[in-house]
Amino acid sequence: MYSGAPSGGIAIGGGGGGRGRGGGRTWPSTTSVSTSGKRIHKEMTELSMEAPPDCAAGPKGDNIYHWVATLFGPPGTPYKGGIFFLDITFPSDYPFKPPKVVFKTRIYHCNVDPSGNVSLDILTENWSPALTISKVLLALRSMFTNPETYKPVVPGIAHLYLGDKAKHDEIAAQWTLRFAR
Amino acid sequence: MVSDSIPKVSIPIASSNPKDFAKKKRANRSAKLKQSKLDARREQYLSQVKNKGLKEEPNTGGTHGSAKNVANERERLIEKLQIKPIGEEDNEGSLNHYSDFDSPTSHTSSVLGGNDSGTNFTGSSRGSSSSSSSGGCCSGSVSEEDEEAEDDCLDDWEAVADALAATDKKQEQQNPSLDSHFERNENMAHMSSRQEVSERQGSGIDRSKQECNDRGLTPRPPLSCRAWRPDDTFRPSGLPNLSKQHSFPMNSERHCRRDSVWGCKTLATPMLCPICCEDLDYTDTSFLPCSCGFRLCLFCHKKILEEDGRCPGCRKQYNQEAVEREATIDGGRLTIRLARSCSMISRS
Repeated sequence: MYSGAPSGGIAIGGGGGGRGRGGGRTWPSTTSVSTSGKRIHKEMTELSMEAPPDCAAGPKGDNIYHWVATLFGPPGTPYKGGIFFLDITFPSDYPFKPPKVVFKTRIYHCNVDPSGNVSLDILTENWSPALTISKVLLALRSMFTNPETYKPVVPGIAHLYLGDKAKHDEIAAQWTLRFAR
Repeated sequence: MVSDSIPKVSIPIASSNPKDFAKKKRANRSAKLKQSKLDARREQYLSQVKNKGLKEEPNTGGTHGSAKNVANERERLIEKLQIKPIGEEDNEGSLNHYSDFDSPTSHTSSVLGGNDSGTNFTGSSRGSSSSSSSGGCCSGSVSEEDEEAEDDCLDDWEAVADALAATDKKQEQQNPSLDSHFERNENMAHMSSRQEVSERQGSGIDRSKQECNDRGLTPRPPLSCRAWRPDDTFRPSGLPNLSKQHSFPMNSERHCRRDSVWGCKTLATPMLCPICCEDLDYTDTSFLPCSCGFRLCLFCHKKILEEDGRCPGCRKQYNQEAVEREATIDGGRLTIRLARSCSMISRS
């Protein structure tokens, strides 16, 4: 599915990606001893205690390296009322390498390519180990309100946004209505 | 006598140190074991008292406020859990909150009820045996003979109260409520008060009278969260020495070197490495690799240096200055290291 996703072997030193999903061995995630596991656990508990506004995130199943996040389209944007699902995949050397974030819900946005990949600077070259998923979610949320039009992955949408924002917003609202409800 | 074993049970609980949790657990277990015995005795005792006390109950019935009703309910719940309720017993138990055992926070104890239902019950029994003690204080009516005659079972009820308090604590951990903090205080205060009682019992009737006055209608202000002050004369010697613990923290000045990357420990030091969430040890906390003040453990620092080498806090490239400084300070060691590697190269 998602390449580079360490899955299955949570308990074994951060799940270096040896065993595929559905390998039949599911270990309780609490036994994780790796650095990334501990860090992800901590973020998980922190998120469950206080998530950023209009955001939710948590592990998809037993594998704590594979999360699903939910973003609610903030009011005042064409994405208002939409519910956007994202897949978050942590690399095995997580805090040192950024998590991979993919939109599972279709969205009309110049920073999200047709297959859902997000181009966000903090998820690529500006990643810092001090960043957390909670901050990533906040950044994604602000991406809804302020698209990054200088380095868009979909230049057409960025052009439209800069040239005719009303039209852009109309299409984005249509997409939201169609895909994100 | 049973009383010898009481301090053993109560002291570990009373010592408010969170590190004594294991001890508390042990105490819980022993208290529970005791409880089963005590339940039997309590029922036996009940059946005796019931004959005497039945008449008074209707009188003392509805004279109490809503707080007590709450306590009443709670107590009933707890007693359902732990002891088979017998007739009017739970009613009576909560009626006499103020009566016996004079926990200094008797005012608060009425709110919590369940903590000390065991002790309450003793009080109630005594109250009822001494002619209609209008619900509140049984002040003068407690004679010393009474006290001595019931000394044995009184100790038993103390043990029961211990057990109840212990289970109560457990419940509190499972479902922390709003007043959980309150309860904890009360628990400790309760323990200490019991200690006081056992000490005062020796010293005669005027003491007990004074107690009765204290416990009367003007409740004492609740104690601070520490049950015993370190300098308290009544403080049992079995409790750990607090002054030792206070002096224990490490001298933070020890490892400081002024002119290196290893800056002094500041107050705003995080206890966990923000990257790997491991505890920062002393070396880590005195390690300040970047001028932005972002701290991390040495392992994570090394890992970052192996990759892009930027500070996670400010994204600036990590310290050329630090490397330079190391080179200047430990110039001798650096040259030695170089020499060694050179020799290895030349050998191979």
